[in-house]
Formats: sequence, structure tokens, C-alpha cells
Amino acid sequence: MMKKRFLTTILAITAAGTLLAGCGSKTAAPTAAPTEKATEKAADQTTEKAAEETTKQAEAAEDVTLKVFSNLPDRKNGQGLVEQMIIDEYMAQNPNVKITVEALDEEAYKTKFKAYAMDGMPDVVSIWGQPAFLDEVLNAGVLAELNTGDYADYKFVEGSLEGFKKDGKLYGLPRNTDVAVIYYNQKMFDDNGWKIPETYNELLTMASDIKAAGLIPMAMDGGDGWPMAIFMSDLVNKINGSTIETVANAVQNGDFTAPEFKEATELMRTAAEAGLFQDGYDSQDYGTAMNLFTNGQAAMFYMGSWESSMALNEDIPEEVRTNIRVFTMPVVEGGKGQKHDIAAWNGGGYAVSADSKVKEEAIKFLNYMYQPDKLSKYGWENGVGMSAQDQSQYMTGNETELQMQIVEIVNAATSLSGTPINDCGPSAFKACIESEIQSVTNGTSTVDGFLDVIGKACK
Amino acid sequence: MKKLYSNKLVIASLILPGILVFVFAILAPICLSIYYGFTDYSGMGTATVIGFENYSKLMQDKIFWKSLWHSALLAIGFICIQHPLAMIVAAVLDKLQGKAEGFFRCVYFIPNVISVAVIAYLWKFIYNPDFGLLNNVLKALGYTGKINWFDSKIAIWSVLVVLIWHGFGWGMLIYYTGIKNIDPVLYEAAAIDGANNRQTFISVTLPQMKSVIQVNVTMAIISALKQMETVYLLTNGGPGNSTQFTANYLYQQAFKAFKYGYGNAISVVFILICIAVTILLNIIFSEKGKAV
Amino acid sequence: MRAEKRKLTPGRVLLWAVLIAVAVIQIFPLIWLLNFSLASSNEMFTSGLLIIPKKIQWGNYVKAFVDGHFLQYLKNSVLINGLAVIFVIIISIMAAYACHRMKWKLSSMVKTILLLGMMIPIHATLLPNYKIYNMLKLTDTIWALLIPYIAFSLPQAIFLMTSFLDSVPIELEEAAVVDGCGIYRILVQIVTPMLKPSIATVSIMTFLNNWNEFMMASTYLSSPKWKTLPFSVLEFTGQYSSNYAVQFAVMALTAAPAVIVYIILNKHITKGVAMGAVKG
Repeated sequence: MMKKRFLTTILAITAAGTLLAGCGSKTAAPTAAPTEKATEKAADQTTEKAAEETTKQAEAAEDVTLKVFSNLPDRKNGQGLVEQMIIDEYMAQNPNVKITVEALDEEAYKTKFKAYAMDGMPDVVSIWGQPAFLDEVLNAGVLAELNTGDYADYKFVEGSLEGFKKDGKLYGLPRNTDVAVIYYNQKMFDDNGWKIPETYNELLTMASDIKAAGLIPMAMDGGDGWPMAIFMSDLVNKINGSTIETVANAVQNGDFTAPEFKEATELMRTAAEAGLFQDGYDSQDYGTAMNLFTNGQAAMFYMGSWESSMALNEDIPEEVRTNIRVFTMPVVEGGKGQKHDIAAWNGGGYAVSADSKVKEEAIKFLNYMYQPDKLSKYGWENGVGMSAQDQSQYMTGNETELQMQIVEIVNAATSLSGTPINDCGPSAFKACIESEIQSVTNGTSTVDGFLDVIGKACK
Repeated sequence: MKKLYSNKLVIASLILPGILVFVFAILAPICLSIYYGFTDYSGMGTATVIGFENYSKLMQDKIFWKSLWHSALLAIGFICIQHPLAMIVAAVLDKLQGKAEGFFRCVYFIPNVISVAVIAYLWKFIYNPDFGLLNNVLKALGYTGKINWFDSKIAIWSVLVVLIWHGFGWGMLIYYTGIKNIDPVLYEAAAIDGANNRQTFISVTLPQMKSVIQVNVTMAIISALKQMETVYLLTNGGPGNSTQFTANYLYQQAFKAFKYGYGNAISVVFILICIAVTILLNIIFSEKGKAV
Repeated sequence: MRAEKRKLTPGRVLLWAVLIAVAVIQIFPLIWLLNFSLASSNEMFTSGLLIIPKKIQWGNYVKAFVDGHFLQYLKNSVLINGLAVIFVIIISIMAAYACHRMKWKLSSMVKTILLLGMMIPIHATLLPNYKIYNMLKLTDTIWALLIPYIAFSLPQAIFLMTSFLDSVPIELEEAAVVDGCGIYRILVQIVTPMLKPSIATVSIMTFLNNWNEFMMASTYLSSPKWKTLPFSVLEFTGQYSSNYAVQFAVMALTAAPAVIVYIILNKHITKGVAMGAVKG
């Protein structure tokens, strides 16, 4: 493999990089090799395009307004802050460009994105390089094709672009390397003598101890459905040792009756019944779950590595903020997945609208964001998790311990799960599983009923 | 005189704006819905006409029927809980005079003028099992457990409570006006007959309020059917569709599941149901009105 | 019954108890909201009902006011709702007059059609209207809100106007006709002033209905230019997801204008709503 291009910190990702490719039938095929070819092919086109661009720029010093549609409403912390910093910088450097941002919460964002996709989108948009989000969007041709050759020097982690491609053409760029983690409050753990669980059963045993201490074991954003779907994917990964093919097959055949899905669903349900999650987790949103954790009400919080900027968020009480640490889903007894087979994927990213009237400028801005010293560097400096680009040179030594832990987790990873289950099928499947997963964990529907319904939704 | 009142041009000019608004904002979208309801349009790309497939799917869609059932539950809740309560409070309020009356009336109505967005978020906090107001109140009263108000078995009732709380002032005010409009002579007659308060309420107030009750019941059923915003913000239909309502469901299907055509089919059926229910209610009430 | 008033019978105690209990239920959540909007976020996690904040956090309101675009959204809300009211009144008076007073064959049919709008659930038009507005490039403009707001308030307004028209004595109009007035002048100078109470009712109903609306706004609008007040709340839950107190402040602030206006105009609004309800 082509490890030479990648520096030590992300070796693990590199090795597992090809695994990160999406899991749908359409995106499962490409591996790292075609990427390279596409790059070469695109190389000569690049020069032409570059020439074209310069002439265009010369004549177009007129005012341009770029509309950015973002899923990061918090512009003062974490990723939203980073995005806003780059936007401000870009506007300062290009006085003729005005960038307006419309930012919505993840769920509201996805809904509105689909509404936009019907007729006319903002110029630069947040996207997810996953079949559930991207397949239909790409089929409709609403995203602009990007020139793969442009990004040869951008140090994207190998394989990270795959989810954003269709028929070898690139339509978006990944922002993060996401890892599903369990944040925990170290001080709380130490004070009570709780230890990081090695197995799933230990996790459940510990949950009852935590409950007995009058605290919430794990805060879960169950109201949205997708975090629980990630939790389930995480378990499938631990049971089966890998997820991509199993899920791809299940989605393609509309059949989720395989034992690993059944076991994962049952395990998750057991956890809910044992009180691992807070009361009413299945109706509480992202903010509520996170606040339970950041205000010291919950000992753990199941979420993606993108929330590692919690460690620097001054709205969070210092006592909690400085004590946040992570571990990953413990192994399942009898499962094939080992400790370092983690749930990770390249999810969120950006794209440019195909019918944008200022496409050139939008792509220019997109490329600007992805210059390695922008999103990656600023993100890293602001405590955000790992980007999808090589970040090793931006290590400052001032990283939060939380950040370093996540880097270690990724470095130590023996395999990465790829796209979470809910994002592997069509939107109808996603909508279905994210709602039904609430019913199955809270006991309203049976495990078999759940697997049957989500299977049908694939067709 | 007659000529003036039948001048076609004048009539046309007066009625045109209303017709235009109707055609553009109500008729056109409905026609479009009917069209898309017959297609497999995802929202993007091309639409293929697929006949009644969406509708036959809809007939078997458990969640759709569930959402209608939830509307029925809500309507029952309004009629059996909110309305008797509102009527009693209105009757009690009627007994007061002067400043107290105005004060209470004002207080009862205040939630009504607050926007649904605020109400829904506020109640999310009130219902929170861990730090919400409601469980804290129970704790203050000596109850030690934690109640999960959005448990899928009771979530629909929790939504109902919010809607009752929000709409209480409105319902109360309408009954209050109805009571105020009752001819005082009837009360005097009842007093002469030696009726006590309860008897007066049952034998005078209630029968006199019939038309008001009819209006309120109609409104309750219709608003239960049309429910969307509170649920969208409070639970978005969850957990697991246990608080799903038709309007919310069609929105989700169109914009979340990318089934725009199917969403429109739901819209069409939804409109038909609303029209049918309204007409039905009118028939029921007008027949009863005639009989008495 | 009047004599009873001064005595403190068990009945009266019960009566007051009911009234006060209902008042507390209706108002306490709002007091709770105000209380915590002045505290700091982590003070929320208490088991007490109300708290005395360690330090009163006026800063929450500053953040809510500035970052919530409060003034701009308030202006938008008032403008959009105000315009909707004006349009609804003008169109409904015209239509009601044409259908009720003017003599033409289709009058009752047209009236029925216009009133049909009352039965149509507003949210059923969300999807197709989104498509239509997109085609006409109306999304993200004030029209995207105004049109549905007007359309869905109009049927009720026409209904109310028609029933009030009955109380306008036709003799007045006849006298005006003898004096040589045309229909338009009659409408403006004679009928409209006589309809004042119903205009008030229609204004209040239209305003109350649309003030709370946000589904259309969130679907059809994207830039802050025309966003209405409820958006302050929606945006804040994302923007300040880890700061509950600020979220409370923005909720209180968003609720404030309507509540204050209501308290001031309490009597008129009550009368208006009551009139509309009884007629409608």
C-alpha cells in the first residue's frame, strides 16, 4: 500500500482506509487503486481548468455572494467556530466575496437539505458521504463535480474520498474522521472507583452501580434515532468483527434476519432495560443528552469523536470539562470483534451545488477551506476530533488529553467499521430504522418485528 | 338600485382578489398534490406516474392509520377533559365580578398568545425526567420515582396536556362568552324555583350553551386532526411514532424519507378526511338542532 | 346570588380554590421559565421548583437579544402579520360584500367555495406550495409567508364579515345610492366603518393564528432576512445547545412581546375573540 504518503499518526487509518468506503452496493466496489488512476487522468484537465479559472478571475472582480448551508449552528464552539473562522478569513482576503451562512441542527438540516435538493440549493453545503444521504442526491445531479486532481496535495487520508464518489467522479470532500466513542467523566469514575469496562456485560454491571449512586450511567441522544443506530452498528461490529459487507448484503436483500443483527438489537435492548441510558432517552434530543453529561448528571455519553471540543467549551463547567475522557465500545462476550475493531467512518463533509450561479467562486472557497492548514489545522487547534486529512504536522503539544486519546484510539485500531447501518440504505430505510429503533429499545416492538420492518424499508 | 347591485364588472372586481388567493394558495397546491400523489417522485429528478400505487400503499400503512387514531385520541381528550374543565371554570368565573374576573380571564389566556415554538421547548424542559419541573413538583409532593413523561405508552397524553394547557384560555373564553350571553331572566326564573348552583348549571346553563358547545366540539376535532407544530417540535412523532400525526408524517415522508409523491398522496387523503369530518359534524349538529 | 358574594361559604372557598389552582397551572411554567432564564446553566440541575440564582445573569438576555436577532425578527413578525391582517381585511370585506349584498347568480356558490378553505388543513399544502414557490422564485421572500397566511385566514374572515354585514342597515346604503354614490364609495365610506367591530375581531384572529405559525416559515425561508420571531428559539437550541439558561432567556424574550401586548389590550382582545367565536 502507499503508506509513504502518510505520516505516523494516521498509519492505522491508512491501513484500514479502504474499509472506510461506504457500504452501499454502489460505493462498495472502488478501492484505493482507482483513486490514484483518476488522479492521474485528471491531472492534465487540471492545467486547462486552472488557466480557465485565472481568466475568469481577472474579469470577475465584481461582488459575489456565496450562500453556505451548514449543519453547525453553534458558531462559537468546536467545528462551527472553525467553519466561521475560515469564512471570515476568506472574506477578509477576498473583499468582493460576501458569505452568508444558514445553519441548522443536524436533523433539521437534513430535512431542509432535501427540500433544497428539489429546486435549487445554496452554493456550498454540508453533506454526508454515505449512501442514505448521498445516493439519491447524486442521482439527481444536484451536486457539482469536483476535480480530483485539485486535491492531490491536500493530504486526504486514503480512502476517505470514496464515500463522496459516484462512478469514479468526485462530488464532495470529507471533513472528519468520525469515531463512535463513549465519553466519560474521569473524576466521577475515580471518585466512585468505577473502571473502564472491558466487556459489554461489565458495562451493564457498572451501569447498575452508577444508577445506585444516583447518577445516569450513559446519556444517549435517543430522540434522534441515529446515535442509537450507531450504537447498534458498533455492537454489530463487535459481534461480527466487521460490518461493511454484512450490512451491504442486508440492505441489498432487504433482509436483516442475520444473527449478528438480532444479537446486536437484543444487546441494545438489554442495555436500555437495564437502565444504561437516562429515563426518557428515546424522546430526548442531542442537546439534552449532552447537557446531562456536561453538567455532571451522567457518567458517560455516547457520541461521535466530533464532540471532543467539549474539552474546550467554556459553557461547560470546568470541573467536568477538564475531566472528559473516552473509551470505545467494550467487546461483546463471544463476539469476533476485538477491542481495537472500532466504529469509525468518514462522514460529514462539504460539496458545491451543481446549479450554483457562482460555482467557480464556490469551488474556490471549498478548496480554500480544505487547504491543509485550514479546516484540519484550525479544527485540531480548537479541540475538534480528527479531520479526514493528515494532521500530524499540526500537533502543537497543546492538544487536550481528549484529543490525544482519540488519536491513540485511531492509531491502535485494527479495523474500522465504515458507515453506520442507518446511513447504508436509501433515505426511506434511514427514516424507518431511526424511528423503529426507538420502538425496539423501549420494548414497544419485538426484535424480530424491528428487523423485519427495517428490511422491508430497503425495498 | 338593482342595476348598481348587479353590475358584473363591479362584482368581478370585488370578488377577484379573494378568488385569486383561493386559486393560487389553496386550489393550485391541491391540484399539484393530486398529481404528485399519482407519481413516484422522490423530490428530485423525474416523476413517473404510477397510478394508485401510493394510495394502495397508504391503505396498508400502519403508521398512517396510527396517526389518525392519535388525532381521534386527541379529540376525545379535548372533548372529555379540556372542555368540561373550561366550561366549569367559565361558569365559576361568571360568578365573580369586577377586577378578579378580569384578572383570572387574562391569566388563563396568556399561554395562548405565546408562540408554539416557545411552548414546545418549554414543555420539553418541563417534562424532562431528570431536571424537569413536573418531576420536581412530584418530588416536592413526596413522590420519589422518576416518571418518563414521553414513555411511548403515555407520550400521546403528555402531548395532549401541552395542547390543553396552551389552548385552555381560548376554549374557556368561548364558553365564558356563551354563558354571558344567556338571558339573565332564565337564571332569575331558576332562582325563584329554588334551584341551587349545580341545578341551575345543568338545567339552564348547559342547554343554553348548546350551540357554543357544538362550535367548540367541532373546533376540537378539527384542530386534533390538523395538529402538527407542537408535535413536530416536542417529539417529532417519537418515540417510535407513538405521537405521530398525519401532518407531521407527510412532512417526514416527503422531506426525510425522500418520498415526495407518497407525502402528497397522504396530503390528498388528509384533505379529504378533513372535509369529510367537517361535513359530517355539520350534518350531525344541524340535524340535532332541528330535532330539538 | 349577589348577597352570597360577601359571605365566605365553603362553596365560595372551593370556587376560589379552583380559580387559583387553574391560574397557577397556567402561569407557573412561565414563572419557572423567567426564573431559570436569570440563573446560570448548571443551576438548572436542581430538584427545587424555583431557585434564587447565585448571581442574576442579565447577560443571558443580552446574548438572547443580540445573537437571537431579536429586533430584526420581531420587526419581520410584526410586518408580516400586520400586512397579512390588512390584506385579509380588505379582501374579505370586498368578497363578503360581493357575495352577500350584490345580486348575481353564482354568489352563493362562490361564497361556499371561498369558505371551503376553512376545511383544508394548512399543512397539507406545505409540500406542493414549496414546489410552487420554488418555481416562481418566491421562496425566501416575504410572499412565501404572506400568501398562505392570507389564504388560510381569509375563509374565516369572509365568514365573519358576511355575518356582520347583516347588521349593517341596508337603508343607509340605499340613501347613499340615491345621493349618487357608487358601490366602491359605499364600501369605503359606509359599510367599512359599520364593520369596525368585526374588523377588530378579524384582525385579532388573523394575528393570533399567524403569530404562532412557524412550519411554513421554517420550510420556505432560509436567510435571516424575513425570519420571524419563533426562529430565535429554534436557532438558539443549536447555537447554545450547551447553555440552557440562554435558551430560557431567548424563550422568555420571544414570548414577551405578545404577552405584553395582550396584557395591555386584554379587554379588546377578549371581546374580539369572544365575538369571533360566537359568530363563527
